[in-house]
Amino acid sequence: MKRIIQMTVNGEPVELAIEPNRTLLQVLREDLELTGTKHGCGLGDCGACTVILDGAPVNSCLVLAVQANGREVLTIEGLEENGDLHPIQKAFVEKGAIQCGFCTSGMILSAKALLDHNPRPSEIDIRTAISGNLCRCTGYQKIVEAIQAASETMAGSGGDAR
Amino acid sequence: MLLPKFEYHEPSTLQEALKLLSDLGGNAKLLAGGTDLLVRMKRKIDKPSHVISLARIPGLDEIVPRNGHSVTIGSAVSAAKLAGHELLSDRFTPLAMAAGRLGAPMIRNRATIGGNLVNARPAADLPPACMVLDATLKLKSASREREVLVNEFFRGPGETIIEQDELLVSIDINTPAPWSGGSYIKLGARKTLEISMVNVAVMLTLQSPDGSITDAKIALGAVAPTPVRALLAEKQLIGATPSEALFEKAGQVGVGTCSPITDHRGTMEYRCMMIEVLTKRCLMQAFERAKSWRPGR
Ligand SMILES: Cc1cc2nc3c(=O)[nH]c(=O)nc-3n(C[C@H](O)[C@H](O)[C@H](O)COP(=O)(O)OP(=O)(O)OC[C@H]3O[C@@H](n4cnc5c(N)ncnc54)[C@H](O)[C@@H]3O)c2cc1C
Ligand code: FES
Ligand code: FES
Repeated sequence: MKRIIQMTVNGEPVELAIEPNRTLLQVLREDLELTGTKHGCGLGDCGACTVILDGAPVNSCLVLAVQANGREVLTIEGLEENGDLHPIQKAFVEKGAIQCGFCTSGMILSAKALLDHNPRPSEIDIRTAISGNLCRCTGYQKIVEAIQAASETMAGSGGDAR
Repeated sequence: MLLPKFEYHEPSTLQEALKLLSDLGGNAKLLAGGTDLLVRMKRKIDKPSHVISLARIPGLDEIVPRNGHSVTIGSAVSAAKLAGHELLSDRFTPLAMAAGRLGAPMIRNRATIGGNLVNARPAADLPPACMVLDATLKLKSASREREVLVNEFFRGPGETIIEQDELLVSIDINTPAPWSGGSYIKLGARKTLEISMVNVAVMLTLQSPDGSITDAKIALGAVAPTPVRALLAEKQLIGATPSEALFEKAGQVGVGTCSPITDHRGTMEYRCMMIEVLTKRCLMQAFERAKSWRPGR
């Protein structure tokens, strides 16, 4: 039996009637056509499906859409500000932290969740934050550098630069 | 991978959940964080026709300290919350440490302590930590309620004493005595997202910072069909004066507790060596923490 759910996706309220066996990942991609969130393993291992649910990064392939009822979801599409890329997105482009791009949405959302709580992370904090996001292309170093660069930009150039 | 169809229930009280569980019988599964259940349903290992979510039941996701003498942890508390909790890190150290090693950040944000215990994988992170803390589990069904020691909870891989109509409500732990300290070590082939090859949890209590050991608990995971207490090794320690040699001896005795297997994660011989080394290392860390114990806040 279908259920009506209401959630906020990238700041916009949405209401949908969905079957309970559909994951948040499926509903984002198929019903809301937000295909920036990727479907990799479907089992929690790869992190390609990472979205931010009420402020915390989760694997959307292991969350039922009905479990997101009444909650707030942020996907990669919700990051740009006034048509401009988010500083983390810019840093990924500038540092060459993207090759095929399949892991990138998840990486950036894990990075955003980190920087929201910890604006000046250490390298270990960064590596821990993206430890559930697999990348088969870049070897991670450039991703770590991009997140470091973004944290510096976002914290502002003046003052306590390290 | 698609999920099979099921009916979804979202009870808003514990009573309602227990009634559903008893009415629906074996066709229902409780859903906490879903990091085990949804994987098993995608793989068609579990095929419940009803799924009962714990998300709207009040109180299940809370950690409640009881005047310094104990703490009650709701079964739906996430690993992330356990790992980040100051009181748990300070007084119930093995549990906070083990929770911080479970999966990766996204898994920790969903995975719950109740799901980890009920799922009962031999290599799971939280059972050994709960065992050295002598946790008591509160189980409830529509018609009865009982408390069981975590040491009596596990029966085999994926098997516990919980009945089909029972729900694990909370985990109660008494505050360890003064001059207690604990630690947790997990060994996997990678740092994260790894089912452990061996895991060790330890609690030690000293008579005084430079006194003898008055209590010792060691639990090992991934070395037998269920997590096990290394009782003989504990015996070696109780009453003795702490020293590196003593902890090494305890590690050697601890290996006797285990029946490790050879698989793609490691050979039996390697696991035995690691049990010895990690038990000793974990005891050393627990000893350092016990010595620097500070009265409560
Ligand atoms: C990618 C990945 C990595 C992982 N890494 C680790 C790891 O490093 N270490 C580790 O230990 N585990 C790991 N796990 C397994 C899993 O995340 C944990 O076991 C987790 O704690 C399960 O909790 P949950 O809330 O998600 O359980 P769920 O999937 O919601 O439930 C698991 C089982 O317990 C039952 N259940 C849940 N709550 C209750 C309750 N209150 N009363 C009665 N029954 C209940 C459910 O019906 C179900 O059968 C990993 C899983 C994935 C997908
Ligand atoms: S698709 Fe969700 S973790 Fe791989
Ligand atoms: S850029 Fe290809 S998987 Fe990361």
